[in-house]
Amino acid sequence: MTLQTMTQNVIATAEKPALSILDYSLSYKTANGLISALKNIDLTIPKGKTVGLVGESGSGKSSMAWSVMRYLPPNAVETGGAIRLAGEELLDQTPFQMADIRGRRMSMVFQDPSTSLNPTIRLGEQIAEVLMRHRGLTKAQAWAEAEVALARTGITRPKEMLQRFPHEASGGEKQRVVIATAFACEPELIIFDEPTTALDILTARQILDLFNQLRDETNVSALYISHDLGLVSRVVDEVSVLHKGVIVERGLVGEVFAKPSAPYTKQLIGAVPNPDRWIGVDAPAEPKTLIKLDGIGVHYGAPSKIQKMFWPEDAEKVGFWGAKDVNFEVRKGELLGVVGESGSGKSTIAKVLAGLQDFQGNLEIEGKTIGSRKVIDRAYRRRVQIVFQHPDASLNPRQKIGRIIARPLKLYGVVPREKIKARIAELLEMVRLPEEYADRYPHQLSGGEKQRVAIARAFAAEPELVICDEVTAALDVSVQAAVAELLVKLQKDTGAACVFITHDLNLIRQLAHRIAVMHHGKLVDFFDRPDARSEDRDPYTKALLDAVPVHTPVEAFEIA
Amino acid sequence: MRNFFSSPTAIMGTALLSIVLFAAIFGPMIAPYDPQAFDPLNRLQGPSLTHLFGTDQFGRDLLSRILTGAPSTVAFGVGATLLGVGIGSIIGVVAGVSGGWVDSTIMRILDGLLAVPDLLFTLLIVTILGGGMEHAMLAVSIAFAPGMARIARSAVLSVRTRDYVRAAVARGESGVYIVTCEVLPNALSPIVVEATIRVSFAIMIGATLGFLGLGAQPPSTEWGLMVAEARQFMFRNPWCVAIPGISIAIAALGFNLFGDALRDALDPKRSHG
Repeated sequence: MTLQTMTQNVIATAEKPALSILDYSLSYKTANGLISALKNIDLTIPKGKTVGLVGESGSGKSSMAWSVMRYLPPNAVETGGAIRLAGEELLDQTPFQMADIRGRRMSMVFQDPSTSLNPTIRLGEQIAEVLMRHRGLTKAQAWAEAEVALARTGITRPKEMLQRFPHEASGGEKQRVVIATAFACEPELIIFDEPTTALDILTARQILDLFNQLRDETNVSALYISHDLGLVSRVVDEVSVLHKGVIVERGLVGEVFAKPSAPYTKQLIGAVPNPDRWIGVDAPAEPKTLIKLDGIGVHYGAPSKIQKMFWPEDAEKVGFWGAKDVNFEVRKGELLGVVGESGSGKSTIAKVLAGLQDFQGNLEIEGKTIGSRKVIDRAYRRRVQIVFQHPDASLNPRQKIGRIIARPLKLYGVVPREKIKARIAELLEMVRLPEEYADRYPHQLSGGEKQRVAIARAFAAEPELVICDEVTAALDVSVQAAVAELLVKLQKDTGAACVFITHDLNLIRQLAHRIAVMHHGKLVDFFDRPDARSEDRDPYTKALLDAVPVHTPVEAFEIA
Repeated sequence: MRNFFSSPTAIMGTALLSIVLFAAIFGPMIAPYDPQAFDPLNRLQGPSLTHLFGTDQFGRDLLSRILTGAPSTVAFGVGATLLGVGIGSIIGVVAGVSGGWVDSTIMRILDGLLAVPDLLFTLLIVTILGGGMEHAMLAVSIAFAPGMARIARSAVLSVRTRDYVRAAVARGESGVYIVTCEVLPNALSPIVVEATIRVSFAIMIGATLGFLGLGAQPPSTEWGLMVAEARQFMFRNPWCVAIPGISIAIAALGFNLFGDALRDALDPKRSHG
């Protein structure tokens, strides 16, 4: 080979995009015939660039990741197209050749670090394994290299971290290990599949910064898959919007944000909660207390009577406090937001209010004091209703929608027996579902529709307080907005108060009158919504507010 | 359930099961000979046109004996299982729903019982109660109860923490409503599947007891007993052991495969992919 042709080769590879997907289609074989997952996808990732793939659940974005990794389920049928890694056709590779490419030339970072690491193997070994397999290092070399890789991800004591097992590391640390593993062999392409979705806001922010820093250092090409437009705009150069297996829009991220052309993109951008756009109900004219939480504490794994008898001094240390000494009040007709990271105790408070969790301290409802879960009666339970996070789990799969909604009507005797049917229709209409849905089973409905049914069931009891425990977290952005608006409308119609628990600070600032911030089981901050940015906020509140993806100012094309 | 028959297991299981059930229902009516009629001149014959499956040591027609034995064999398997599933499920549901020390106590006792092998346990009970079909059936069902209780309990536990059950608790529903309307309908399918599979074990244990002389007594046409009686003539006419043996195998396999297929069809996680 002459020097000239060699140079030409080098130039040729340099110009070839890191990944190019041409006219690629994919279907899945199911009992109902072929179902198309991806249709004529064209996607190019130039060398050193990051391309975002944005879409809601079911849009096919994860299928795309698996097709590139060549790790499709057996019922997948590829119906044409090409996937080329630096010009090399991946569709022609044998599984054996792919095993060599995976990890060395391209790697993947998954959504949930707690399930993508093997819980029985030390973290160091998990990184070293990749290095030994693909770069042929000895064990000692690999461990040394793993330490360097880990240090690059900003872990303060990498050497100690290598010796730990996954359960001894926090979620953020684990995701750093996964990222270190992905970067370890300096691959040409890394696929990030929602790498921050399973992490809390502060950690997610750090991981994003880390991603940007590593990308600048290594000049790797990346495919960044996410459902969150705001988040994607922070890390990618170009973005493609995927809707039902078709790319509906592509372009530079700034342009797509500023001038979305496809209607779906407009809808998606419009649905992203904008903290400055208030959609909640008017605040109650005169604040009247509905429920007061007085020194509420929840001690998980509390010592038994016998343990207390023999080791009284350990009583405080055993187990852990899901919530400790929480005091606040819920006013009539208001929407109170409770925010915090996972494990902050916000759901614990929801369970206490709904009478699902034993607690210490007192609940006061209109002068009546409730000192323990056991004395909570049906009258209280009717006044306080709860809506859960996962609509799939909160509706009994063997009961029809009509029966599910009818149950509180019958149980509390809200309406006379002969009027139940009419009331069900009314309630369904209130949550904007057709009357015929009463005869359907939950699995015949979409996630958003199921959540509406759960909300209808809660409002069927004509409650004074509805607890919404992350009701929008399991839903897609566009559905989220609709559910939040529905909730506000119902509040307006019925005058019920609402405790809205969420980790989404943008959303809560659209809805809530007052906001409570929880951290490690304690109430750290409590303020009126307009005071969110005031100076005397708790440092933790400030940190949370700073970590939220900034809403791009796009008033110009807010959906009319 | 729509694509139940798309798996070979389901087709095979259903086919075998239909043969067995057909024999159990219509067997005694279509039997060509009297199952107890001796024919000393035609003892221990192989299959022929007059005796399709051959004859046994007393010259009784094997086909007729198999057909008349089918109802009692199937009834034994199904009956013992139903009884065992009933007892076991009640114990398991009680343990799963009440939780706490009630659950712990019940489950530790059942763990102890589970340590004894099914057959040994059955033998023990039959020895105490005395032989005979009814006692054998009772023994098998008692031996099944601990295993079924475990399955029922785990089914209940997996449902008990679902949000729709918690929603019912938060509504202030009574315990009876929660168990009968929210928990049980969703916990039923693993119990039904396990029961179908267990019928095959019951049939085999029943046949074993018959073989050991602790179940049905002569001149009953129970299949296990037929194997035992024909054993000493095995070398002169292998058919008289093989025919009832194969019948037992077909019945057991039929229920087993059908149960397996049922589990695949009812479990949404398995039916995809």
